[in-house]
Amino acid sequence: MNKIPVVINDTKLEVDPHKTILEVCREHDIEILTMCHLKGIIDIGACRLCLVEVEGVHKLMSACTTKVAPNMVVKTSTERIRRYQLITTELFFAERNHVCAVCVSNGKCELQQLGYKVGLDSIRYPFLYPQCDVDTSHAWYVMDHNRCIMCTRCVRVCNEVEGAHNWDVMNRGHQVRIISDFNTPWGESISCTSCGKCLHACPTGAIWPKAIVQGQLQKNPAMITELIARRKMKL
Amino acid sequence: MIRHELHALTERVKAKQEHFKHRICVCCGASCISSGAEEVLHKLQEEIKSRGLEETVEVIPTGCMGPCNQGPLVKYLPEQTIYQKVDCDNIQRVVQSQLVENKPLEDLLLFADSREKAFVNANEDPFFKQQQKIALKDCGDINPESIEDYLIAGGYQALDKALFLLSPEEVIAEVKQSRIRGRGGAGYPTGLKWETVYKYVSDQKYVICNGDEGDPGAFMDRSVLEGNPHRVLESMAIAGYAIGATKGYAYIRGEYPLEIKRFELAIKQATKTGLLGKNILGSNFRFEVEVRIGAGAVVCGEETALIASIEGKRGTPRPRPPFPAESGLWGKPTLINNVETFAAIAPIILNGGEWYSETGTPKSAGTKVFALAGKINYSGLIEVPMGTTLREIVFDIGGGIQNGAEFKAAQTGGPSGGCIPAAHLDVKMDYESLMSLGSIMGSGGLIVMDKSSDMVDVARYFMEFSMDESCGKCIPCRVGTKMMHDLLQKIGDGKATQIDLDRLEELAEYVRDTSLCGLGASAPNPLLSTLRHFREEYVSKILPAE
Amino acid sequence: MVVSFKESAKTDPRIKLIAARMKKEGFKPDSLIEILHTAQGAYGYLPKDILLYIAQSLRLPLSRVFSTVTFYHFFSLKSKGEHTCIVCTGTACYVKGAQALLNKLESSFGLKPGQVTADNKLGVQVARCIGACGLAPAAVIDNEVAGKVDAEELIQTINMKTGIV
Repeated sequence: MNKIPVVINDTKLEVDPHKTILEVCREHDIEILTMCHLKGIIDIGACRLCLVEVEGVHKLMSACTTKVAPNMVVKTSTERIRRYQLITTELFFAERNHVCAVCVSNGKCELQQLGYKVGLDSIRYPFLYPQCDVDTSHAWYVMDHNRCIMCTRCVRVCNEVEGAHNWDVMNRGHQVRIISDFNTPWGESISCTSCGKCLHACPTGAIWPKAIVQGQLQKNPAMITELIARRKMKL
Repeated sequence: MIRHELHALTERVKAKQEHFKHRICVCCGASCISSGAEEVLHKLQEEIKSRGLEETVEVIPTGCMGPCNQGPLVKYLPEQTIYQKVDCDNIQRVVQSQLVENKPLEDLLLFADSREKAFVNANEDPFFKQQQKIALKDCGDINPESIEDYLIAGGYQALDKALFLLSPEEVIAEVKQSRIRGRGGAGYPTGLKWETVYKYVSDQKYVICNGDEGDPGAFMDRSVLEGNPHRVLESMAIAGYAIGATKGYAYIRGEYPLEIKRFELAIKQATKTGLLGKNILGSNFRFEVEVRIGAGAVVCGEETALIASIEGKRGTPRPRPPFPAESGLWGKPTLINNVETFAAIAPIILNGGEWYSETGTPKSAGTKVFALAGKINYSGLIEVPMGTTLREIVFDIGGGIQNGAEFKAAQTGGPSGGCIPAAHLDVKMDYESLMSLGSIMGSGGLIVMDKSSDMVDVARYFMEFSMDESCGKCIPCRVGTKMMHDLLQKIGDGKATQIDLDRLEELAEYVRDTSLCGLGASAPNPLLSTLRHFREEYVSKILPAE
Repeated sequence: MVVSFKESAKTDPRIKLIAARMKKEGFKPDSLIEILHTAQGAYGYLPKDILLYIAQSLRLPLSRVFSTVTFYHFFSLKSKGEHTCIVCTGTACYVKGAQALLNKLESSFGLKPGQVTADNKLGVQVARCIGACGLAPAAVIDNEVAGKVDAEELIQTINMKTGIV
């Protein structure tokens, strides 16, 4: 396939057409922050961390959903983009009740790593402190809504990879919550196959296995990507 | 039905109507119905019958006539005399005076209680004189539940012309030449949109009419759908012919049961008459329309969310591109236009694009329907050329502010728009001028406020709206609108400091630039515009620095 | 947890109505919102067993149905009351004092928007603009639109309709 020329952060590159800006950047070791992206599952452009400036386009574009085009000029790390990445991170922390010190994911959490990357030292916005349940009804797993950032990676993995569609999102606006079945306790779900893919897809400590102690959780989202790739090969 | 049969049918119904010397129209728009119009209609029909006048006088229900807060309204044609606040008690007096004694009943004439001299011919009243009706033409003069009435008014002749005299390319050329821009709010050139969808090759394409009028204070789509549903249907068919679609969907708000009823009736009539379905008017063109009922989510006015909703899903928007023109409903090329845009298409095809472009301003051609409401004397529905000033609308047409109070601001564009202060009363109402003041045209809601309105609370009100209507998919809108709302509440409560105000402004800019869809991106507009024009009201409420 | 509706479908006209609508739509998953409209109209709300029935008939995941139901304000999981009073909170009504109507309803019946009296007689809701802006403030009492509403008169009308004094 013929490659097309693009310019990313003042560097000229020859890239495959039909790829997204995010894919191209990752291939060339250009850092783009993401939360809702998980390689292999369908991108939705919801976390707004991967926003980039594209010359000639008035709006900021999400790198995960925007395809490269010939002679596209992209900037991934302007002052404005970095400022907005910091605010987004602050909002993630202020939205629910994230207490890293007592979290199973402490030290291995994608949200925590994001905080380090954007240089988060304090949160300037008021915490929302919503009332969130901790669902411990499943025999092996726990769903803690306090630590959920609504990236919906669990929803998409369950639907696209496992095919069970146990998870979905209820309500709207700031009242959205991840649900299983009819907002039934996870342990009573008739759709869940207990496969555990959602656990590995989850970037934070929102979904974790019961047999774990604080700070010991090791997730493997790359396993999901590998699984999808292998299935495609078989087809 | 084939082509010459349509002409014959139109002639037949015209001849039938010429028997009548008078036509009495009873406004059965939503507002007049809630003031008792249906009772008036029945009473009037009985009255005409009991006087033995039914051979020469016809009584019909119509759509909205405009001055909604004066209802129930009754209009006599051909005299163009409108009576206001008609009820079962005064109806006999009206009939006696107008039809028997042949003179108008002065004390019930439209605006008789508020003007020094009311007009016998309502078209001479300032409320109507400055208006120019294209989209709303026939609304209020014809029975929306009768396809014959629409045919008499020249209905389906534009479709006839498009199918037999114009190629799809020529139809698109007319729309382009008219320079009409999308009336749903964003103002994208309609002809360009049509051309884009036309160019995509696909086995199936769709036409969607967006009737999910979600902005509070806007009721122009409702009035078109309930007053002249066939016009929208005809225009959708023309669009289908132009872009190569055989299927259309009309997405109508669930809050509008009357509109849904009338539009479904119109589909039935048009299908029965052979104006929808296979081989329309004997041509090779096939087109069908289905109604989809909205279920109470404002974000579904956003086109990708609307598509998700028609597909039976949560109405959450997705990033564009791809645009619906390329990949829309069920992944097929899809044309989405607003009700008011469609209402102008049939006249554009019939009279030519050039005719339409002669009205309005160079960049905003044609007319715009506005819904006037709030602290204004004559609220209701009006249609004026683009570029009419706000002052003309509020004072000449709307009769000024209630109780002689002072004008403070007009809000346009609802939760996506902004407030225009008194200093800018002479702003021309067109896309660019409103944008330069930090507001938008939006769908055409125009709410007038007097000194009693607290602008911080107005901003809070709209932010609450956006917060409740946020779909929750992307974080700037989901969390940002909630935080901005809470901060506005804090300022309103007199508990905020300068730091809170700084945070608020920072968040407003952030949410505007980073939200996934138009609802989020425009949610900060009422806040930013009130900050721009009424900053002193914010400053007066914040606590002094310690 | 699979529920069979074969027996009750013969007798309950509401289920028949829903079944007929699903058949008309060819049991397409895309028609979910249309079916929910029919069910909401038949029951006044969406009972969980009916949602299960719809989900299974359309072969839709349960969470997908529940997520759609809870997204749209038209759909309700519990009864909205035998009589309903919907206060319009659109911009024109806001400017003309819709809040005063809501305050009056709260002080008279102890109901905030979304609440229903203990005996299920009356429910109070708010609407995002019913499009009767010329008649602000507006309310809808049992599907009848009332314009230029006065707080005292509103209470009287409701009392008359519900028999609550």
